[in-house]
Amino acid sequence: MRERIAGGYDPFVLPFVIGMIFIFIYLFIALIRVFRAMPGSDRKKFFLSLLNPTIMYKNIRDVICDCLLHIKIFKRNALLGYMHASIAFGWFMLIVLGHIEVMLFVPQRNGTLHYPIFYRYFVAEQNATLKGAVFFFLMDFFLLVVLSGIGLAMYKRIRSTALGMRRTTKPCFADRVALWCLWSIFPLRLLAEGFTAGISGGSFLTKPVNMLFANFLGNDMNVLPTWWAYSTALGLFFLALPFSRYMHIPTEVLYIFLRNAGLKIHHPRKGLAEAEIYSCSSCGLCIDACPMNMQKKNLKYSSVYFVRFQRRNNKKKINEIAEKCLMCGKCVALCPVGVDSCGLKQAQRATVTDKLPYNYSFLASAHHQGGGPSMPLAPVSGSATGNEVTANAAAHGAGNATGNAAQSAVGKDKVLYFAGCMTHLTPAIIKSMTTIFDAAKEDYVFADKDGGVCCGRPLMLTGKVTAAKEVIERNREMIQDSGCKTVVLSCPICLKVLKEEYNLKGITLLHHTQYINQLIDQKRIRLNHSEESFVYHDPCELGRGCNIYQEPRNVLSAIGELKKANKEKKESICCGGSLGSLTLNYHDRVKITQESLKALTFDNPDKVITACPLCLKTFSDQSTTPVADIAQAVAGNLK
Amino acid sequence: MNNNVIVIGGGPCGLEASAQLHKMGYNVILIEKDDHLGGHLAKWDRLFPEGIPAKELLDQLTGNINGVKYFLKTEVKSINLLDKEYNVILSNGITILAQAVLMASGFDLFPAQKKEEYGYGIYDHVITNADLENYFKTGKDCRIKQNPQRIGFVHCVGSRDEKAGNRYCSKVCCATAVKQACEVKEAFPDAQVYCFYMDLRMFGRGYEDLYLKAQRDCGVRFIRGRVSEVAEDLNKQLVVKAEDTLSGKPIKVTLDLLVLMSGMTNCSAGTRIAEMLSLKRDEDGFFTCKDTIFSLQESDKSGVFYAGACTGPKTLPDTLHEARAAALAINNYIKNKE
Repeated sequence: MRERIAGGYDPFVLPFVIGMIFIFIYLFIALIRVFRAMPGSDRKKFFLSLLNPTIMYKNIRDVICDCLLHIKIFKRNALLGYMHASIAFGWFMLIVLGHIEVMLFVPQRNGTLHYPIFYRYFVAEQNATLKGAVFFFLMDFFLLVVLSGIGLAMYKRIRSTALGMRRTTKPCFADRVALWCLWSIFPLRLLAEGFTAGISGGSFLTKPVNMLFANFLGNDMNVLPTWWAYSTALGLFFLALPFSRYMHIPTEVLYIFLRNAGLKIHHPRKGLAEAEIYSCSSCGLCIDACPMNMQKKNLKYSSVYFVRFQRRNNKKKINEIAEKCLMCGKCVALCPVGVDSCGLKQAQRATVTDKLPYNYSFLASAHHQGGGPSMPLAPVSGSATGNEVTANAAAHGAGNATGNAAQSAVGKDKVLYFAGCMTHLTPAIIKSMTTIFDAAKEDYVFADKDGGVCCGRPLMLTGKVTAAKEVIERNREMIQDSGCKTVVLSCPICLKVLKEEYNLKGITLLHHTQYINQLIDQKRIRLNHSEESFVYHDPCELGRGCNIYQEPRNVLSAIGELKKANKEKKESICCGGSLGSLTLNYHDRVKITQESLKALTFDNPDKVITACPLCLKTFSDQSTTPVADIAQAVAGNLK
Repeated sequence: MNNNVIVIGGGPCGLEASAQLHKMGYNVILIEKDDHLGGHLAKWDRLFPEGIPAKELLDQLTGNINGVKYFLKTEVKSINLLDKEYNVILSNGITILAQAVLMASGFDLFPAQKKEEYGYGIYDHVITNADLENYFKTGKDCRIKQNPQRIGFVHCVGSRDEKAGNRYCSKVCCATAVKQACEVKEAFPDAQVYCFYMDLRMFGRGYEDLYLKAQRDCGVRFIRGRVSEVAEDLNKQLVVKAEDTLSGKPIKVTLDLLVLMSGMTNCSAGTRIAEMLSLKRDEDGFFTCKDTIFSLQESDKSGVFYAGACTGPKTLPDTLHEARAAALAINNYIKNKE
């Protein structure tokens, strides 16, 4: 291996070096900005996480799997995964191999920015020698990998469905510049290395290029211009990078570290959120994921555009999308980077709604009355004693405390049943649950029989975090005072917030699907296996929200034939009734409901089964196939 | 050219239109899917505002259709336009070539079980307006106790309710509820009756007097606010939660009987026929008239006419007016054709 150019420098490297220095400075400043915007406790948590070997292992694994190999996209669509992985991993290997070559063969050039990148220009070697053959082959091989990825990327622009994407992101101006640079970098590299291959050596890709062009182009006069072009493409790409979606390449690594450290979003655009929004690669997988996008007019509300407007700080658009979102979490579940756009939207809503006035002073009086939770105002009894209608001072009906729960706080073996306000609107579920409790001879307490306090999740979803904390505290006391060690809930919306925000140590929280599954396993209820066929709808808050997929399927398999839906589990489509959206109108919701039902009934099941009162209500209005809650299906098949 | 006219629907609207067309000399063929004429009217007991027995009106209407051919338990299997005439094939195998088709398909009651929070079909003592009329007519309904002490009426069930898919007002339920509230008070003089309403739309002549009577003579309590949910307690009594928007307070009432005022939706059997003709329907599901002021009886297809509740909720007098207007419109149309 010998150096062909004395001094190891040529002016053509300048565009690249300038771009590289620019990007290093930019990233350094950005990193400081992210850390400065974080609360001190988060910073401490982050630095401590770097010392934790488990977290570090997770960090390294995530960087390799997510940033380089794009495993998540592979799982979704192999070709799309290959496209992303070939560019990311191939390019990474080209850089790494370049550095290894420099370290091994020209150690005096260690530490120069440009040398490993333009190695082939500066050195000469024959591919007959071992080091020439191996490294030249590897370099050509990975260049081919990247080029195949670029080829696919170009094809995707023309026909995205071939790569499993119905719709792709509309790139902005900076995206286009960076995209054209990225697409030209590798063909230019092939040309440059090809023209040089006659002098410096090459392998299976660059040699034939060299020979081909020698015939009619004449190689020597093209060497410098192509190296200039290659360097310029690189330099331009780096200059455009911070303003384009390719900023995700460096940011994603930081985001993985922050996420694994367990940090939470405090501000919709600063600190962790900033790392998050710059990690978005604008791949557009969330566009197809969004249930609103059955209608083309709603494409603009996709998470990818939300993140884009976050970057630009376009307040009007950010709020518009944040308020429209159903918060079904499908885009988060399918995001290859794991950008929690729902969390960002929730934080954004908080900037608007959290300051709004509210008055839950009645909660205090609801609790501290006669030593335990009791009715703030007695409910009207059936006796015809005159005073028929009793006004309840509590606002929006939330004040009717859950008295009977605490008064019977005797046995800890008891199960506390918390139906939730949504379940009170679907009394068939409550009726079925009481039937099941009785059949299992369960000793249970009905916490909110006469109405309870809201679980707080709807408030959290709208961003009214402070208000939510108040009702959460009130319910938390009620549950703890009851002495029950198991809480069974019928509403996944309640379950999610109880799991995430209530901090109930030593208390098991079960959705009724899990509870019924346990009853079956413990042989406490006996069921008929009917001829009926069911399809199960994964409610957003239960599936993606609480990761409960298997138990309801087990239960349904016990009472009949379980059929598959077209889209299920993580990919399940929101019923359209979500509490999450603040502005989506009825007609758009109906479209979503119909789409969801279409996906559910594609195998002609006898019944659509869900496990959420809100889904049940929404589907019942639209469905031609009968819809029931899983509790109803079980109660109907008790022996 | 024949002078056949097909009337679809044997309710009050179809009956009146048939009688008028028959008088004009047309050969009217009336098609009814049920086994009796009269539609909803046949199931009703008394009519607002004066409380005239529904049977009186029905007898009068059926008495006028002597000479009209009608088919019961018959549905339209196919209908299509054949050179300015409509070729109609019926489920009984008969094929008719007609000059004009009158859609008098009327309405379906909103299925109250869709508002599951009110517990229709789930709790023992929840019934609909139609169930109550049936009780008045037959004196039988196991859901109504011997001597109910507290009875509630919920207005606007499936009407003016975006979540139920119906944004429109069903027009007749307010007056029906007030009429039924008075009747139920007469039937059970000891009972206290409540009406949960959003607005009271007592627009017709004599309706306001009915409203005054309900308050003054029957002591019906009108509570302005929607019922949010209904629960059943251990004694199978109903616990109704609502908001009294006039006092701004949530309330809770325990009742022995709850009556849901189901609204109107376009008749499903009628819409099935309309689909064969690709007739236009509005967002609310009812048929689209040619225009909304001048040509209420005409559809977007020439030769197809509308009357009654298939173009939106209507009271009985409105429906009968429309039936006569439609007969006139059909007459003009056929005369022009000739």
